[in-house]
Amino acid sequence: MNMVSTRDRITSEHPLASLIYRIEEGGALLPESPDNVVEVVGILKSYGHVLDAYWQNLVYIADHQFLELFPFFKYFNGDVSTKKLLRHWWHDRINYEFAEYCMKAMLYHGGGGLDSYLDSPEFTQRAQAAGQAKLKGNFLMSGVTKAFPGFLPEQIRQLCYYSALGQFWEVMSSMFLVLSDRYDRGEIHSINDVVQHVKNGLVEAASKPITYTVMIDGKPYDIIPKSAGLTFLMDTAVPYVEAVFFRSFPFMGTVSYNAQAQQISPEPERFNYGALYADPLPVGGAGIPPTLLMQDMRHYLPDYLHEFYQHSLRGEEDLRVHICISFQKSMFCVTTAAILGLMPHPVDTTDPQERQTNRTYLEGWMNRLVDSRLVSLQDCGV
Amino acid sequence: MLSLLIALPLLGTLIVALLPEKHGRLTGRAIAFTVAILSFVWSVLLGFKFDAELTSLQFVENLPWIAQLGLSYRLGLDGLSLPLVVLNGLLTWIAVYSTDPDIQRPRLYYSLILLLNAGVVGAFLSHNLLLFFLFYELELIPLYFLIGIWGGARRGYAATKFLIYTAFSGVLILAGFLGVVWLSGADSFEYNPALAASLPLSSQFLLLGTLLVGFGIKIPLVPFHTWLPDAHVEASTPVSVLLAGVLLKLGTYGLLRFNQGLFPEAWAIAAPYLATWAVVSVLYGAFTAIAQKDMKKMVAYSSIGHMGFILLAAAAATPLSNLGAMFQMVSHGLISALLFLLVGVVYKKTGTRDITVLRGLLNPERGLPLIGSLMIAGVMASAGIPGMMGFISEFLVFRGSFPVFPVQTLLSMVGTGLTAVYLLLLVNRTFFGRLPDQFSNLPRVEWRDRIPGIILTVLIILWGLQPSWLVHWSETTLTAMLTGPGAIATTPLVTPSTTSPKTSLKVL
Amino acid sequence: MDQFLFDTCWWIPCYGLLGAILTLPWSTGLVRQTGPRPAAYFNLFMTVVAFLHGLFVFRATLGHESQEFIIHWLKAADLDLSLALEVSPVSMGAAELVTGLSLLAQFFALGYMEKDWALARFFALMGFFEAAMSGLALSDSLFLTYALLEMLTLSTYLLVGFWYAQPLVVTAARDAFLTKRVGDVLLLMGVVALASMAGSLNFNDLYEWAETAELNPVVSALLGLALIAGPIGKCAQFPLHLWLDEAMEGPNPASILRNSVVVACGAYVLLKLQPILVLSPVASTALVVLGTMTAIGASLVAIAQIDIKRALAHSTSAYLGLVFIAIGTQWTNFAFYILFAHAIAKALLFMSTGAVIVTTSTQDITEMGGLWSRMPATTTAYLVGSAGLISLLPLGGFWAMREGVNIYWVDAPWLVVVIFLVNALTALNLTRVFRLVFLGQPQPKTRRAPEVPWMMAIPLVSLSVITLLVPVMLQGLSFLPSWDYFNWQTALPLVLSGAAGCLVGSTIYLNRTWARPIQAPLKFIQDLLAYDFYVQRLYEVTVVWLVSTVSRVSAWFDRYVLDGFVNLVGFVSIFSGESLKYSISGQSQFYLLTILIGVSIFGALLTFVLH
Repeated sequence: MNMVSTRDRITSEHPLASLIYRIEEGGALLPESPDNVVEVVGILKSYGHVLDAYWQNLVYIADHQFLELFPFFKYFNGDVSTKKLLRHWWHDRINYEFAEYCMKAMLYHGGGGLDSYLDSPEFTQRAQAAGQAKLKGNFLMSGVTKAFPGFLPEQIRQLCYYSALGQFWEVMSSMFLVLSDRYDRGEIHSINDVVQHVKNGLVEAASKPITYTVMIDGKPYDIIPKSAGLTFLMDTAVPYVEAVFFRSFPFMGTVSYNAQAQQISPEPERFNYGALYADPLPVGGAGIPPTLLMQDMRHYLPDYLHEFYQHSLRGEEDLRVHICISFQKSMFCVTTAAILGLMPHPVDTTDPQERQTNRTYLEGWMNRLVDSRLVSLQDCGV
Repeated sequence: MLSLLIALPLLGTLIVALLPEKHGRLTGRAIAFTVAILSFVWSVLLGFKFDAELTSLQFVENLPWIAQLGLSYRLGLDGLSLPLVVLNGLLTWIAVYSTDPDIQRPRLYYSLILLLNAGVVGAFLSHNLLLFFLFYELELIPLYFLIGIWGGARRGYAATKFLIYTAFSGVLILAGFLGVVWLSGADSFEYNPALAASLPLSSQFLLLGTLLVGFGIKIPLVPFHTWLPDAHVEASTPVSVLLAGVLLKLGTYGLLRFNQGLFPEAWAIAAPYLATWAVVSVLYGAFTAIAQKDMKKMVAYSSIGHMGFILLAAAAATPLSNLGAMFQMVSHGLISALLFLLVGVVYKKTGTRDITVLRGLLNPERGLPLIGSLMIAGVMASAGIPGMMGFISEFLVFRGSFPVFPVQTLLSMVGTGLTAVYLLLLVNRTFFGRLPDQFSNLPRVEWRDRIPGIILTVLIILWGLQPSWLVHWSETTLTAMLTGPGAIATTPLVTPSTTSPKTSLKVL
Repeated sequence: MDQFLFDTCWWIPCYGLLGAILTLPWSTGLVRQTGPRPAAYFNLFMTVVAFLHGLFVFRATLGHESQEFIIHWLKAADLDLSLALEVSPVSMGAAELVTGLSLLAQFFALGYMEKDWALARFFALMGFFEAAMSGLALSDSLFLTYALLEMLTLSTYLLVGFWYAQPLVVTAARDAFLTKRVGDVLLLMGVVALASMAGSLNFNDLYEWAETAELNPVVSALLGLALIAGPIGKCAQFPLHLWLDEAMEGPNPASILRNSVVVACGAYVLLKLQPILVLSPVASTALVVLGTMTAIGASLVAIAQIDIKRALAHSTSAYLGLVFIAIGTQWTNFAFYILFAHAIAKALLFMSTGAVIVTTSTQDITEMGGLWSRMPATTTAYLVGSAGLISLLPLGGFWAMREGVNIYWVDAPWLVVVIFLVNALTALNLTRVFRLVFLGQPQPKTRRAPEVPWMMAIPLVSLSVITLLVPVMLQGLSFLPSWDYFNWQTALPLVLSGAAGCLVGSTIYLNRTWARPIQAPLKFIQDLLAYDFYVQRLYEVTVVWLVSTVSRVSAWFDRYVLDGFVNLVGFVSIFSGESLKYSISGQSQFYLLTILIGVSIFGALLTFVLH
């Protein structure tokens, strides 16, 4: 933290004031240290690989398993062979269930333009058209949809999220893999470089349109047309951070669903079970869904990171906990990038008015991060 | 044949003790390990050659020693001693295996363990009262040092307490033996069930009482038990395993062989009081265990409760109850050894045994998940869940004792209920819940920590599913003990009405 | 082949066990690189095999005398423990119900637990659960039955404790085990006593013995009470009923089984014991009294629950209360009908509940609403399950209750009232839950609620169909009366009682925010019911207090009185002071000293003898 300059600054009363100062002075939420750089870049590389598999599958399901009642092969991306089936049954595969879990978190928590679009009459009309085309001649399902009018639209809303999250992760996946390549080429030296890379990536893709078109009987049906005006940053990235990083769902393995015990907030916006909050220690145990992600990432760890983990007390045995901690570190870097990217004014502004606005904005973020794992990640490696 | 079981460990003791110092750690361990395995294998082989149908002693060896004293070197194996001899071999091997390889003063340690093994085997095999006593005393000395040198912080206190108690027990046993031989006018100390048959009842009671207290200390029965929790808490894990698994069995073995066996008449009269004493032991052990915070102490008190079942069964003295007592000895030996082993691993990794501090050790990545699973199995076995040895042994004890002492049996069964309470609390508190941060960096669990526990668990389940394999070894002997000359005549209060359909119950 | 399948019917319980053992490489963490799903598939496959094998034997037994298989297990002294199996339409039917529901629940679990990495352990426990239950169905020996009941206790503990890191699970698993264990130990007392008195533990021998036995009334009463204690715990009857509420902390697929067939296992044992219980009028009366108390009490408690699983779990206790009444009055047919109809309908209701929970991430019914139009399979399942549970003509619940009403109409009208009451209160409760969960406006947590994926939808739909087919099955087994004998006089009030319950349930005011009633008496009643008549507190101030006090007193006594006395006597205190430190530093001298003392005592005594 030698970067802290002594120039005059307004003091903050916030419990995380030191972090606010650090960001204002160009730093990141995660402290700068060589170990942190190794962990963050290494884990983002394997995360990039996993996301690559996830997004392809999400998009495949959205496009090719549209309203399939029994999607037995939805994780096969259209490539069904005996060998693949056996490997699938042996569970020697990517845990696509986790991608769906994140998709469901986004669907459940909503937010952003996509959420409001799905409640619009335009969507209802387009969904109706696609649904009717798909179920043409299926009298049983037509009957069901007549009796339960909400059924089809809700399924299609879910498919929209499949597609949207897939498109979001497509960008993120290649962004992380490029980061890793740059690191291998010696272009990334610090946490700040990582944050900068992610921030640039986000800004670059910010206005990428999010659309969803499905082919039924060779005829395209636009479910989310380009005209809906949904964009990458505001309509997928921001709701994603909110739903997956912050809120998510209570883990059955650590939180009681008993209504009378009232351990879960009645308001979903007050959920704090997301990636930035989750306790890494129970990972690998029962009822902890992120275990799936950690398990997937273990297969793509770069050698330098794997070796780094081997030096710990338990070596291979608690690999997934280590992965989870590194993953949380890297997600705080992504969060930093998002904070910087969404900042009302440039971080290095000198206008006191603008600095005050930035300060208020940062304090808003910090309020939400007070209870996150951030604090526990501050003292390691510095 | 039998002498080999004593000679092998004695030889091992000598070799290990005479090793040059620099070889102590590795070679000493290797020798101790080999000797332990060899004598275990030998005992198992004897088990296969053992003819379960015979009522007489087998593989008898009889050498005159000091004729003037009536001391002869007379060894023999029957259905009562065989399972205990095998158990001793197994647990000695496990104790050596689970010893920390970096232990201080390895030569002394390993030679003492082997000496202990020799002493215990000798005691189980002796069929001369004086010889039994010699081995009984021989076993005391290595155990004293094992607790006193390699124990915990208050090891000196615990070792001394153990020594004084057990020495006192030895003196009483010797006095009892001398009294029997002296009063009956026998010309030697050779064991003979009819030895005391001619004595007047009053002298029988006197001698029985002396021996009961003597063996009661060793078992231990309430109120002579206070040395045991201290000894367990201070002893290192392998020593605890031997202490609970084998050493206590010397007491119950004596109860069956030298109390019930020598004084059937007096025994039958004293039996109701003994059964009540057993109930007190069972309930006292169980209730006291509930309030313990130290895992080892809890398991130690649970031992006291479980040994009470053996007194109950011995008091009832039916063929079935004696079989139950035998079975309970073996099952308690294996189960308590397992529990002490696992507690030992927990202690080694976390540095504490306090159940109010430990939490969440089932954590799959950073905790001790396999140790926790074995612990659940051990706890369930101890609480008498079917499918494991603890259930069938307790069932035999209860079913065997109920016709004679219905009330006492029912009260003892409350003890099994209470066992579930404290052991479940132990497992729930230490293994369930979230792993606290202070234990989030526990050292790795090696396979060396797990293998003994796995072996014991497998045996406990195996014999729980197939008890006949063990029962057939002992059945003939134990039945013969009760039907031979001067056999006990306890009268069942409850008889199956298949023999007399109109029997109405007058009990309760 | 046929004979072979028949002779190997004892494999049916073993399949589940084998499945459980096959999961070990995954559940113990030996396999780390790949996931645990193969373990789940093994178990599913084993369950399918068990179901098909059972189905074959079931068809073969129809219309035949029951057959007994005896496996001699342990023969020692005068004890001959054999594992007897009964192969009859009833026992095989029960085994089929167990394996069938287990199959559906495991299929459901594939979807419900898809994000749980401990899948292997879960399926191992389900396999073990299934093995114990199907073994129980076939068992014809009280010894085997007792052993299997204990296995059920153990597996309930492990299944409730599945999410062991969750704080409420820790206490729930403990309470489930200990409560059931209380019943089990009492049952063991009964078993041991019975074994000693009757000389055998095979049910056939016991029945024979019971016909001629003349017992002292006190003995027979105690024996009877001990024997029913186990089932009281298993069936969650007052006063051993609280565990079922707490057990709802466990995973939902296990709850499906627990609320349908596991509780039924306890009642099944009771049915097996019934000819022996006849010996004791006290036990029969106790069954009726406890059954009635639980049936009405639990129905009331269910109405005050806001947790969707608990609202249904208490109704399980209530229905088992009816079974207790039936057995207490020796009407085993009524008991069987209720068990059968309830098991299937309740399993379906719990499946539907699971679908709701997984979609909305909450169990609080006051936070739900408006799900019906978006979740067709779930809504249908709930409706069909409810219809099958209450007396809605022509589904299973109606036929079961009709049997009871017919039986008691003349002799014990107050029991008819109990049945009407349970029926009406259950209908009220189910309607209330339906309105809160499925009707009304969507709430924040039900705003987006797509129907569950096919792994859960298939069992939902299949079981809905099965529930609708229950009357056909009953007809096929000729359990239904012919229309000539159909008594409208009794059937009509029964149907009306259910309708009344639905009517009240659909008109009462339901408060979603669960604001407390202002009037003190109402608030009191609501709390009283919501907290289950404060029975938990009652336990705390009685049994728990007693055990903990006695244990603290005995520990204190041990530490300060007994041990203190020993130390006072002084042997130890002499050595425990300074001489200890001496013994650690200058060991060798001390060792020599000790050995010398020992040997000299020995020598002195020997000399004494020689003279």
